[in-house]
Amino acid sequence: MAAETMTVEVAQASAAGMKAIGAGLAVGLSGFGAGIGEMGIGAAAMGAVAENKDMFGIALLFTVLPETIVIFGLVVALLLMFQ
Amino acid sequence: MFHPEPMSRLLIVASKQQLEPVITELYRMNIFHIDDYVEKEDEGWEGFRIGMPLAGADVASAALVKIRSIASAFGISKDTISATERSSINELKRRIEQDLPVIAEDVEKLLTSKTRLETTVKEYEQRIEALRPFIDVPAPLELLQGFDSISFIAGNSKEPVTLTVPCEIWEKSLKSGYFTILAMKNSDVSTAERELLDFQFQKVQIPQETGSATQAIYEYELKIEELNKEIAELSGQMETIRNRHDLFLMSSEEFLSGSVEQAEAPLRFATSDQAFSVTGWVPNSKVTKVFENLDKVCAGKVYVSELEVEDYNDMPPVEYHNPDFAHPTQLFMDLYSRPRYTELDPSLLMAIVFPIMFGLILGDVGYGLVLLVMAFGLRSLVKDSEAGMQLVSVLRNCSISSIFFGICFSEIFGFSLPWQPVWLSRHINIGGSGAAEHAIEEAATHGMMASAEHVSHIPQLLVLSIWIGILHITLGRIWGIRNAAVMDHGHHRSLKMFANLGWILVMWGILIAIWANFPIPLMPDLSGTPELIAGMNISTIAGIVILVLGLALIARENFLDLMEVPTIISNVLSYTRLIAVGLSSVAIAMVTNFIAIDMIISPQLANLSIVGIVLIIVGIVVFLFGHTLNTALGVLGGGLHPLRLHYVEFFTKFYRGGGTKYNPFGMVRKLTEQH
Repeated sequence: MAAETMTVEVAQASAAGMKAIGAGLAVGLSGFGAGIGEMGIGAAAMGAVAENKDMFGIALLFTVLPETIVIFGLVVALLLMFQ
Repeated sequence: MFHPEPMSRLLIVASKQQLEPVITELYRMNIFHIDDYVEKEDEGWEGFRIGMPLAGADVASAALVKIRSIASAFGISKDTISATERSSINELKRRIEQDLPVIAEDVEKLLTSKTRLETTVKEYEQRIEALRPFIDVPAPLELLQGFDSISFIAGNSKEPVTLTVPCEIWEKSLKSGYFTILAMKNSDVSTAERELLDFQFQKVQIPQETGSATQAIYEYELKIEELNKEIAELSGQMETIRNRHDLFLMSSEEFLSGSVEQAEAPLRFATSDQAFSVTGWVPNSKVTKVFENLDKVCAGKVYVSELEVEDYNDMPPVEYHNPDFAHPTQLFMDLYSRPRYTELDPSLLMAIVFPIMFGLILGDVGYGLVLLVMAFGLRSLVKDSEAGMQLVSVLRNCSISSIFFGICFSEIFGFSLPWQPVWLSRHINIGGSGAAEHAIEEAATHGMMASAEHVSHIPQLLVLSIWIGILHITLGRIWGIRNAAVMDHGHHRSLKMFANLGWILVMWGILIAIWANFPIPLMPDLSGTPELIAGMNISTIAGIVILVLGLALIARENFLDLMEVPTIISNVLSYTRLIAVGLSSVAIAMVTNFIAIDMIISPQLANLSIVGIVLIIVGIVVFLFGHTLNTALGVLGGGLHPLRLHYVEFFTKFYRGGGTKYNPFGMVRKLTEQH
């Protein structure tokens, strides 16, 4: 039944939909992962800065390390959507 | 430029009679960074000890403590005072002797009585709180206590209380449960208390008052009002003292902290019975000034000499030496760590690259203008803080770069400007690749004229950002070689230099191998080179050879470093954030425009009505809210991401940091005259 109603337009539309879902998953899941990663680091970094203000630069550095993953997710999403 | 201010090490030796003039002169010049004398067996000089403070240090310290405590009670600081003319030292000295004790006594008296009154107010407030539950009790408070055979228990519980012992119960239901007063025989109290535990009964002390609770509360409130009046009066008196003396207090604070610092300077000197000596650092350009001035104040009875420096690596204090343009960026360097004396100071490069990266991310004329206005507006707010001024200057540079890139990208608040983007475009469509004909027509109504060609630019932009990464990281590694050459010694030095070269080779080896097999836009295409063996062309083989050579160089320094090789790829790809974050900001701007204009405002404009006008206002609010949010996100994203690219991807390749800040002995006087 499904195979009979599958026209070229429908196939194209569903392919585009799949792309969009893929892009969403790429950003969402990578954001989730980075969030989990930054959770612990951020808390520890706050503690370190509270003890010694000079640690701010290094603390910021450690905190933002995992967020590269989101950027990768975002890049994959952009490539999916615009290539 | 790229190197801190060159420093010379000076040794000053003189007899103890010259101690005071030398200290005063050094303090006045404010250029001599003292190396504290350490009294240790291997480092100290024989027969020399740490000096004693000059006479008068204790008196000045005591006065300073007094002034600072008054200042903190008044909440005044040097930054809040602006003086039209500077106080003269002699006048200050006289007033510190005569007026200060009087002021201190007055302030102390006022403070004590104020604190006493405030404590009483607090006590009364607590009593009122204790009385509140008893407001509705049908008997005067004095009847709830003081009987020989009957006891009263009052308290709160979640549920109504019932007891097996004979008792009289009065209860009032509250939001959180019940307030209950129980009366019973003295002999039943212990049984009752045990049973009350089951109701989770929390006992409340019955206040020792007479009459009704309402009356008692009213009386206390009257008393509190009286007391508050007195407190306000005292505050007024303190205000008067403060306004009369704030300039005097702050200028004597400045004068005294200078005196104390000078009087305690010998604690950092080496002294013998008759002489003293001190070493310190002075910028090269000012060495002769020190020689001349000291000679003048001591009438020649001082020996000053420039010392040879054996190891520059971590000894000299570090003062930045950059063109004015790069001064604001020094804030970011200090945030990370001050460079060491011998290493490259990347402030200047950062001053150029950071705004470019910011502009690439937030390339929008509208947002750029908003930030530019903000930067000038904030200027007057932060003019007292150096870090604040630096930050505002960075913001100004970044917003100019933003406007520049906005013109190139043809973007203003997510709309197109009336020209085509220069070279590459960031224009996108909502909900489509732009390949289909109707998608372009739809997109045109969203404010952005994104053609299929524009959309195809996005992979190219990503490649462009990867190029920035490749060059940035290669430069970092080259600087790594330079720093290793200058800062390391012996066998380790050459190993480290070659390892840095190895990292460059591995990166470019991988790149050549990729180019040899996959054609990528904006990158050299080497896939056309003739095949050599096993289906691999010459370029592939060249890439692999370079890669292996690089790996060997890295492994020679530290085998375990090979584990880090994949970071080359992740570091380079990390630079794609410049475009990715930028595109997300474009997308947010477009969505805001779409919701505010296409969905809310345009349909109402086409068919105007009363409700429509309200909706149009709602649309304008949505528009403003969305763009405000996007500006804030843009500053955060545009600021933090380039900062991270510098700190994580760039600095880790060469930067060591940990230099001592150049902190000359002296002070910049704001309120007092020079001695």
